[in-house]
Amino acid sequence: MAENNTAKTTYTADGTEVLFFSIGETIYGIEIKYINEIIGIEQITVVPKIPEHIKGVINIRGKVVPVISVRKRFGMEEIPYDDRTCIIVLEFEDGNQVGIIVDRVQEVIVVKQGDISKTPDSKSVNANRYIKSIINMESGIRLLLDCDKLIMD
Amino acid sequence: MADMYVFETTSLLEQLDQILMKTENESSFGEEEINEIFRTMHTIKGSSAMMGLDNMSKLAHAIEDMFYIIREDHPVISSMGTLYDLVFNASDLMKAEIELIQEDEYNPTDFTDQMNKIEAFAAVLKGGAAPESAEAPAQQVAAAAPAAVSSSSPLTSVKVWFEDECKMENLRALLVINRITDSCSQLEYFPADIETNGDTAKVIIENGFDIKFAPADGSNIDAVTEIIKTTPNVKNCQIIERGSGAAVKAASDGNVTTVRVHFEDDCKMENLRALLVVNNIKEVCDSVTYEPADIEDNAETSKVIIEEGFVVHFTSDKPQMVLQTIEGTPCVKAYEVIEDAAPAEAQAAPVQQTAAPAQAAATAQTAAPKAAEKKAEAPAADAQKSKEQINNMLGASKGGAKQSLISVNLNKLDTLLDLVGEIVITEAMVTSNPDLKGLRLDNFQKAARQLRKLNSELQDTVMSIRMVPLSGAFNKMTRIVRDMKVKLGKDVDLIFEGEETEVDKSIIDQLNDPLMHMVRNSMDHGIEDNVEDRIAAGKSPKGKITLSAYNASGEVIIVVADDGAGINPEKVLAKAERNGILTKPASEYSEKEIFNMIMLPGFSTNEQVTEYSGRGVGMDVVRKNIEKIGGTVSVDSKFGQGTNFIIKIPLSLSIVDGMEVSVGESIFTIPINSIRESFKVKPNQLVKDTNGKEMIMIRGECFPLIRLYELYDLKPGTDNLYEGIVILVETEGKCACIFADELIGEQQVVVKPFSSLLNNYNVKQHGMAGCSILGDGSITIILDVSNIISDF
Repeated sequence: MAENNTAKTTYTADGTEVLFFSIGETIYGIEIKYINEIIGIEQITVVPKIPEHIKGVINIRGKVVPVISVRKRFGMEEIPYDDRTCIIVLEFEDGNQVGIIVDRVQEVIVVKQGDISKTPDSKSVNANRYIKSIINMESGIRLLLDCDKLIMD
Repeated sequence: MADMYVFETTSLLEQLDQILMKTENESSFGEEEINEIFRTMHTIKGSSAMMGLDNMSKLAHAIEDMFYIIREDHPVISSMGTLYDLVFNASDLMKAEIELIQEDEYNPTDFTDQMNKIEAFAAVLKGGAAPESAEAPAQQVAAAAPAAVSSSSPLTSVKVWFEDECKMENLRALLVINRITDSCSQLEYFPADIETNGDTAKVIIENGFDIKFAPADGSNIDAVTEIIKTTPNVKNCQIIERGSGAAVKAASDGNVTTVRVHFEDDCKMENLRALLVVNNIKEVCDSVTYEPADIEDNAETSKVIIEEGFVVHFTSDKPQMVLQTIEGTPCVKAYEVIEDAAPAEAQAAPVQQTAAPAQAAATAQTAAPKAAEKKAEAPAADAQKSKEQINNMLGASKGGAKQSLISVNLNKLDTLLDLVGEIVITEAMVTSNPDLKGLRLDNFQKAARQLRKLNSELQDTVMSIRMVPLSGAFNKMTRIVRDMKVKLGKDVDLIFEGEETEVDKSIIDQLNDPLMHMVRNSMDHGIEDNVEDRIAAGKSPKGKITLSAYNASGEVIIVVADDGAGINPEKVLAKAERNGILTKPASEYSEKEIFNMIMLPGFSTNEQVTEYSGRGVGMDVVRKNIEKIGGTVSVDSKFGQGTNFIIKIPLSLSIVDGMEVSVGESIFTIPINSIRESFKVKPNQLVKDTNGKEMIMIRGECFPLIRLYELYDLKPGTDNLYEGIVILVETEGKCACIFADELIGEQQVVVKPFSSLLNNYNVKQHGMAGCSILGDGSITIILDVSNIISDF
């Protein structure tokens, strides 16, 4: 896994590669460097006594990986899983893997550095909790998620 | 490379500590120990210099020098304490430095202070006649030497070393004697009975073969040594003392010193290393010539250097400093001073002769062999052992055992263990594959059984590779006790019991900190401050701390016991009340609960914060660390008699024999070693207490019932007690009944720790030890029975 990470080019000459996925009507982005793989929904083993947004653990080729429902994490209602539901497996610098359940995966786009702007510095905006920055695109404004904050409290 | 250095040096320093500790207890240095310290320091010096760590190298050198004086002069050491403190401090400094090296930004620490102290002490050891600086003693020897030589016998003394493993050293020595007999007018050698006594071979291997001779007319010392050197299998011939003839001859020479340098085997690029030697000594020499001369351009010369050594001629008014420099150069194994080169060599590289007063020349010449003798012994020390040991077969077998050991990177072992774990799972996947269901496969079953057997053997072997005795962790404590003994002024014996008990390597690494905290705690709080208190309590004035370890039902139990004042439960309770950590009325606490309170965060009965303990973090950290490796820690104490800390840790973290049970869609694994029995409940066994809490009566005993689905808020397959299955579990003397839907079967599972994300939510506290992957790819959660029971 570690080798894969180093081989990944996150910053191309033009900017950052970002994977976009949708939760309901909203489109969010995650930097490619965090993403290990994308798999379909799998059987999730429930782990008792943990917060609701952590759905449990899955077996990815012999590794036990916890999965988080992004809908629950954002305080939204969960919808039944369908064939478009995906688990994006993130890998962090310390080698920890975490899966996040999203409604559907959209596309990978190279975002120019100039198109990325900071989030407003406000404590009242809830979005700040998980949002790293805002991406201005021709098709509209999209939110880039902060993976570390998404996973940890 | 750096890893290797860190590993080696750390273990050498630990070894050093152990030797010091041992000798301090016996309050005397044996010759063997001095040699061992000397050797250790020499190795550290060499490898540090190679890594470019000059400060480390110099500090090691200072200690080496000091022990040189102790070894050679046998001074009466009046202040043993100071000596130990000096060496212990130096060892600490070096350890700290090694820690620093491993950090990203490393700035060498300045050890000058410590070095000055050591040098000053060394000078004291040298005696009143000795001058103050470290360099001076050598000069002293040099100055005294000419007189000694002129008055000594005309015999020249040489030490001959034979090639390693050349066998029958005594006969080879005899050959040397036969060859030189004709050129000598007088000849003595030791051991003398080489011809008749085969055992002398050992002596020769250990100590070298000593020859004393006077050259016959028409021959000279160098011709004789040349004959010795050219005798088959002779590795090295070292001149210990020149006969009187030599001194006369030397005086007529210039003050050119010739040295033959040998490099370590397999150090590669000998020619460049030789160049390094030349560059290093240039600064302290007036002139330097060397052969082979074209080392800089001709790589082939490295072969010549390997075979014949590297010959350097230099003139300097401080020959011993030059020799020191040579010795300090990385990869230099040994060197010998040849004085004036053999005729052939002299022709190859004409020596530049400087006109110098005869007196100075004599000083330089005679100083050289003396210094050489001193220095050359350091590398040779590896081979040289004290005489008692020569016949000590134990020592020999020890050397043999060492060679059958290899050190392996722990990561590789981890990977191996993971792989074995995968194989265990895969085996289950294959042999209990759903596709095989209902088929009659006799041959397949037979092969599968064989596979299972081999797999379990493989697993046992891998586990045994990872097992390490606890003695290493225990030995580290001697040092702590020693330091605290001095600081706190308490006299304490540290006793080990069962230190050969083995535990998985990954667990041992986690044990050091907790053990250290507990031993410190026993030293600081446990043992009474006043000896009078001990005597008044009818105890021996000398305190006792016992570290013991033993195996008990798949667990290792480690006890840190002291015979100190014990814990006063009332004081603990009062303090807990003050700190507001009581959760129920004070009167309801049992003594055991009270003792275990000292391991709560922010608790310390000691009123004063000392250097070692009292901040109330220690015991809390102990508990956390032990729990991290799946163990438990408890306290037992008798007020006035002492305190025991009891640590229970699993033998291994990785593979567990488990019983799978299902609860709704979830599968849990209960470790077999905590299961007593499983059964179906009959209506007459169910008892309810006043709160409606259920209990099961088994053979006249009542046990609390834990419904797993209730405990974990799961949807059960059945909530009917009489339909499901009840498992009676026991751990640490406590029992409980666990209710689940059904038993699935027994299987070995590989424990996979929960990801740190889940650990943040304290899953361990809720009785989940980890998870594992079953044969069909589904995940099972391994229950930690002790945590489940403790909640009830």
